Amino acid sequence: MTVATATMNQISTQTQMPKSLWADAISRIKRDKLALTCGAIIIFYALLALLASLGLIAADYAQTNPQGFSPPSPDHWFGTDMFGRDVFMRTVHGTRIALSIGLVTSLIAIPIGVCLGAIAGYFGGKVDDLIVWFYTTVDSIPDLLKIIALSYVMGRGILSVYVAIGFTTWVGLCRLIRAEFMKHKSREYVLAANALGASHTRRMFVHILPNVFHIILINFSLRFIIGIKTEVILSYLGLGVEPGQPSWGIMIDDAKQELAQGVWWQLAAATGAMFFIVLSFNIFADALRDALDPKLRNK
Amino acid sequence: MKLSRVVLVALVSLGISACTKKEDKKFANYVREALKTNIKGLDPVVSGDLYSSTVMAQIFGTLTQYSYLERPTKVVPYQADGMPQISKDGLTYTFKIKKGVLFHDDACFSNGKGRELEAEDFIYSFKRLADPAWQSDGFWIFEDKIKGFTAWRNEASKAGKADYSKPVPGLEAVDKHTLKISLEKPYPQLLYVLTMSPAMVVPRECVEKYGKDFQNHPVGTGPYKFQSWTRNSQIVLERHPGYMEEYYPTVGEPQDQANGLLADAGKRLPLNDGVIFTEIVEDQPRWLSFRKGEFDYLEIPKDYFDGAVVSDDLTAEYKNAGVSLSKTVGTDITFVSFNMDDPVVGGLGGKGKYLRQALSTAYNTEETIKKFYNGRAVSAQGPIPPGLGGYDPNRVNPFKQHNIEKAKELLKKAGYTEATAPEIHIDLPNGVTYRQFGEYYQQLFNTIGVKAKVQLHTWPEFQDKHKKRKSQVFSMAWGADYPDAENFLQLFYGKNASPGPNNSNFNHPEFNKLFEKAAVMQDGPARNAIYNKMVDIVIDETPWIFGVHRKDYYLTHGWFKNYKRNGIILNYSKYYRVDQEAKDKLKKKL
Repeated sequence: MTVATATMNQISTQTQMPKSLWADAISRIKRDKLALTCGAIIIFYALLALLASLGLIAADYAQTNPQGFSPPSPDHWFGTDMFGRDVFMRTVHGTRIALSIGLVTSLIAIPIGVCLGAIAGYFGGKVDDLIVWFYTTVDSIPDLLKIIALSYVMGRGILSVYVAIGFTTWVGLCRLIRAEFMKHKSREYVLAANALGASHTRRMFVHILPNVFHIILINFSLRFIIGIKTEVILSYLGLGVEPGQPSWGIMIDDAKQELAQGVWWQLAAATGAMFFIVLSFNIFADALRDALDPKLRNK
Repeated sequence: MKLSRVVLVALVSLGISACTKKEDKKFANYVREALKTNIKGLDPVVSGDLYSSTVMAQIFGTLTQYSYLERPTKVVPYQADGMPQISKDGLTYTFKIKKGVLFHDDACFSNGKGRELEAEDFIYSFKRLADPAWQSDGFWIFEDKIKGFTAWRNEASKAGKADYSKPVPGLEAVDKHTLKISLEKPYPQLLYVLTMSPAMVVPRECVEKYGKDFQNHPVGTGPYKFQSWTRNSQIVLERHPGYMEEYYPTVGEPQDQANGLLADAGKRLPLNDGVIFTEIVEDQPRWLSFRKGEFDYLEIPKDYFDGAVVSDDLTAEYKNAGVSLSKTVGTDITFVSFNMDDPVVGGLGGKGKYLRQALSTAYNTEETIKKFYNGRAVSAQGPIPPGLGGYDPNRVNPFKQHNIEKAKELLKKAGYTEATAPEIHIDLPNGVTYRQFGEYYQQLFNTIGVKAKVQLHTWPEFQDKHKKRKSQVFSMAWGADYPDAENFLQLFYGKNASPGPNNSNFNHPEFNKLFEKAAVMQDGPARNAIYNKMVDIVIDETPWIFGVHRKDYYLTHGWFKNYKRNGIILNYSKYYRVDQEAKDKLKKKL
């Protein structure tokens, strides 16, 4: 009896206050302690990056000292590198590069992926064939090779890293958006919009897009991980940011030679910093997906 | 089941240890050496790289060689009987060839027995260098030097096939044992290049029998006969029983006596029964094999340096195992080069010169040596490395003494203040160490306000950029091809400008005049005086920031005798001796 009442109560509250997708997602994330912690870590990193680029913290990261390779101490929390530069400050500045790469490459890749995906999925037919052919061709070349080729053409530097990663990693999102648009274009609300005389553009971007926006958001948070990892690999291969700029990839590149001399702190600092942000983004993106996409929910 | 497996393992390991023991016995008195790069081939006209040349230098003979113990090392006759007669105008060299020098026994000879070396063999071997069919990159040693040789080559390229019966005007076999070389212009470096791998002598019948496969069947007149070669693994050479009469040198440097390097003076060469070269590209296994006693000597890999050498001396662990350390300053130089064509850093005299001097004075060599070379280098004061004629040990380059105040003054003289100092662009090859160098240059030049942008390139891209004069500043190193300062000074000669080897495009009329004058002079104090004047000009104009001369640190085991290194001397194996008794004893300690 008690049980039945409780169930009834639950049902009635749910029917009383229907939640929108977004409100439901927010309340789900609020209940997920782990996701919240990860979100906090991401905000913390973002704050570090922002303050570092404004020069408010770790401003003298390029300060050298004739005595290189001092181990971690109260003066230098993560020790110093071969030129006596503070590894902690360099790690903080590395955050700036890593996050800016995540952000800028997303700003390049997401519009490309969304637009092409939307057009292909919505119009179908020949247009779809063309776009599918295009992204299959792009996708058939391994990402790293494309990025390496592009950075040879454009020269080294952070700008070419942005462009290289941005223009090569939109295919996954494009596929997802295409599939969603194919599904949505025959739904009642789109047919209704059509009956009201809405143009193609209006149907695509005002009616369908908001309904698939959660996919873009999930993709956005996952892309950060790709961006950060690719930058590290590129810098490690000598194709990344310009010499002199602190980045985690360059720090790991340095560290591979230092390890034989017993210098572990630079490797530990860079991989540690990378570990926490990549893990946080992974968990947070997972939680976001669970919260936003009812079909993929696994808890 | 278990027991049988144990027995099997025991049997197999017994078999292995028996094998190694047998092998040890078979190869007793063999020199064992590690190569850090894979060998390309063993044909003198095909493979000119250092490591292939090193192996070939033990198999093939040349007219001249370098004296083993003297420093600076001198050219001495090898398979020539005495030094050549040089005509007064320096244009004709007449070599007598030693009698009774035999090629190794090989199936390519009519009765399988190696025949005697003749003057014609040298002419054939040199023509092969010029034969377009072999695509040799070693022809530069004779190009435009030996009379009519370049024309002979051009004709062969035009005809599509070289005609060996057609004579070269500058190469003449006067009789069986006399070779006359006539030159187009004096070429004092001829005696040096005749020691190099392209000038090694090969028998015609063997090349004709094996063709392109000669590089796997090398036959020469050197102290060692080729035995076997497992690609990318091991090359075994054994003593050539018919090797010519040659004896261990009796003169050397003053300290050689004390170092035991003259203990074998006057003994017949080679002093060992063979050589085993093992190719190991990775540092770690090469180092560990040396520690186990599998190699007689080894250059210490950079990452293992601190474990073996502390405050420039060997650690007790190694000393107790009978290992000793040998240090030599290499005949090379590292440098940062300015493009003299560039409007900012280039130009003779004036603004550009003061800017270059300022950057050179801001350069901190002592710190560079500490940070990048584990202290294994000496500061370069000029373009000529120690160990070469013309090197002045007392020279002090005024722009090579790290002094920020003075550098700032020079910057002012160049018309800049710290705030208005120009931005420069430095090109470097790809790689961690180069990138770190780049960051270091940025820091050094920043101390006087000069901002540097560093760009890393693939090696071909990097070369292409300065060959086309598109680099503003770049960094490189140069190693001696032969022990003559000319090899370094030619890097500043106007006519050698890019795409030639003078990549700074330095073109100074007085320097050029002096260079042309010295180029045709024989070695001696008069020529050294001119070299000194040339160095003065280069230091004043500073087209390069002189870096360092790198030191080589080698370890030798206690049983290994007569080791004395010089990067130019390659046919060294014949001088080495392995004290097998001491080896058996010391190896147990390792």
